[in-house]
Amino acid sequence: MSLSVNNLSILDSAQQPLFAPITFTVSPGEILTLMGPSGCGKSSLLSAVAGHKSADFSYQGECYYQQRLLNALPAEKRNIGILFQDDLLFPHLNIWENLAIALPNHIKKAQRKIQALKTLTELNLVELADKSPMQISGGQRARISMMRLLLAEPAVVLLDEPFSKLDKSLRSEFRNWVFSQTRSRQLPVLMVTHDVDDVPVGSKCLHWPWNKETLDA
Amino acid sequence: MLLAAFGYIPAIDQYALSLDGFTQLLAWPGLSQSVVLTLFVSVASTLLSALCCFAILQSCWHSRWWKQIETLLAPIMALPHVAFAVGFAFLFTPSGFIARLLGEQINWQLVHDQYGLGLIAALTLKEIPFLLFMSIPLLKQLNINTTLITAQSLGYNNAQAWQKIILPQWLPKIRFSLFAVMAYSISVVDVALIIGPTQPPTLSVLVWQWLNDADLATLPKASAGALLLLLLCLLVLLGIRLTEWIMTVKCRTWQSSGRFSLPIGGKSIITITYLITLTTLPMLLLWSVAQRWRFPDITPSTWSLRFWQQEWYYLLDIITNSIMIALVSATIALFFAIVIHEHSIKASLNKGKFKVPRLLISIPMLAPQLSLLFGMQVATLYIAHQHYYLWVTWAHTFFVFPYVFLALDGPWRSYDQRLDKVGASLGMSPFKVWWQIKRPLLLPAIWIAWAVGISVSLAQYLPTLMLGAGRISTLTTEAVALSSGQDRRISAIYALLQSITPFVFYIIAIVASRKTGSLEQQRANSASLTSTNRVTTHNVSISK
Repeated sequence: MSLSVNNLSILDSAQQPLFAPITFTVSPGEILTLMGPSGCGKSSLLSAVAGHKSADFSYQGECYYQQRLLNALPAEKRNIGILFQDDLLFPHLNIWENLAIALPNHIKKAQRKIQALKTLTELNLVELADKSPMQISGGQRARISMMRLLLAEPAVVLLDEPFSKLDKSLRSEFRNWVFSQTRSRQLPVLMVTHDVDDVPVGSKCLHWPWNKETLDA
Repeated sequence: MLLAAFGYIPAIDQYALSLDGFTQLLAWPGLSQSVVLTLFVSVASTLLSALCCFAILQSCWHSRWWKQIETLLAPIMALPHVAFAVGFAFLFTPSGFIARLLGEQINWQLVHDQYGLGLIAALTLKEIPFLLFMSIPLLKQLNINTTLITAQSLGYNNAQAWQKIILPQWLPKIRFSLFAVMAYSISVVDVALIIGPTQPPTLSVLVWQWLNDADLATLPKASAGALLLLLLCLLVLLGIRLTEWIMTVKCRTWQSSGRFSLPIGGKSIITITYLITLTTLPMLLLWSVAQRWRFPDITPSTWSLRFWQQEWYYLLDIITNSIMIALVSATIALFFAIVIHEHSIKASLNKGKFKVPRLLISIPMLAPQLSLLFGMQVATLYIAHQHYYLWVTWAHTFFVFPYVFLALDGPWRSYDQRLDKVGASLGMSPFKVWWQIKRPLLLPAIWIAWAVGISVSLAQYLPTLMLGAGRISTLTTEAVALSSGQDRRISAIYALLQSITPFVFYIIAIVASRKTGSLEQQRANSASLTSTNRVTTHNVSISK
């Protein structure tokens, strides 16, 4: 159940690679962090893995989930969840609807609301159910956004600087919560960031320019 | 605006006083059929165009073709409804161009057909580009790309994301445009005269015929009809609002019910829309220079400029007439629009002042023209009805105004108010600040708004005929009148000219607007064509 990337490189619009081809594997429950300055292509790398096309870049190399080649699959078939620094909750839906929209199709009708409310109860946020995304705090939005991602039952989780917009006080608490969620579900997690504090203790981390692996302690 | 509201009262007055107008109306044998037909045509064409527009957006937004689609929107929307309808008729009559291509008479009747299917098709085709255009700024606001990425990471494919997540956000924002489309389709007279059903016609055409009846006794019936039309219009507008409310508020479980979508093919729709619309102009041109064109030949057998020469003397008169009215009314409307924009800026700073409500400004766009004009006409009778030019120009100004106002809305909002304060702090009087700082900066927008006003005025049919008492002819009135005539060649000439004149003014305005404005903008304009293209697209849309 692992995510593997083989000789992946991002090319800019002039077909020039932004970094030397990179190869790594993330096992279930493991968190791999890619550190790098802004503009180094780390967000584009996540987009390439997730399958989101862009006019500004292309890529070379392969992505595998287990032994299955992902390259030809459209983004929605890859079963890869991605969390951005903005929560990107849908503004026209209230909080429970934002969760319900992510539930798998086999959960029908009334069950969807029940499931969404159950999730909110587990998070101790059930009083937010009927509020709009703009009415709740940034920290709450971040949690709902992560929960929405997990409700879609992804096989892999990608984190694109997910903590950088949060207040310092909220950041470590939310970070620990996110990693405990992905670890308990045994999900492989690939994170990109430029903040050393984001790297969880004892996990693998690749520092720019990503050619040497360090174990963060 | 006050005058308009005043002019509108006598219509109700008349209705209230004479109930027999109402009884006459109810007694008319084809009434219920006509009302049903009217509702069918307007609801079907509005729904279809909204549906097609969404399908096109879903499948083409930011695809490889999107740029071409966007560039073509401007010329397609600049084509007046009347010219389009004439061209549409040339294509689809049983002996029209399509039949020629097939080599035999076609059996189904699309022009003047009983159920108004041809009218629905033509209105839908003409409104799709308008709705598409109005959607562009909305979708930019909605951050479609991030929404799509988020939706995809939750396992939604493109179609599912559009229908489940973007549709409920797009619908409330496109509401006003849908209102405008609906109001137009329920009250349209000129296009309905050219291709609409005849026995019975739609209600608006019916009222129009009664109004033109030599027998004055039909006047109460006509006024009752005009009122009925107004009520129907309110009804369908409420219907749109209700549908939207049901979809986005009352029954919204479908939005979070999972990854399902309906298959809708937008690419074929956009192709058909553009193909038919773009064929009308060559169609008109071909007919205007044809002398002999026997069925089922694909091209005319003899060509001639005879009809152009024959009509030229008379044409010149009409062109001058149309342009004079358009210039005067657009300029007056422009003046009022600027004054009101300036006033609302001051009013927003100063709480005590009276603000001009937006709804009042959009009334000429949303209420049926016929009902409004009826009131205006009655009002002119009280004053001095013999000054036809005056009244026609006034009516044009009235209907041109909201379009000019809307065209100036964006630029006026984006003007940096701090520049005014800087000017004042340099010791300039308020007028001098406006004339020397604000006016030059906003001049490009003013030019374009002026051209929008001219094109709206040039397309007016009912105001010209009703307040001109049939004594004033413009290209539009002639194009409609001749479309029912025998000679397609002369009809083609008028329709062609009707579609060319607004283009001429757009070109003038574009050239003028490129030479004005901030230096930054002037440089950008000379560097790239696309930005001006965008400016024109924006304004043409409003001139629908």
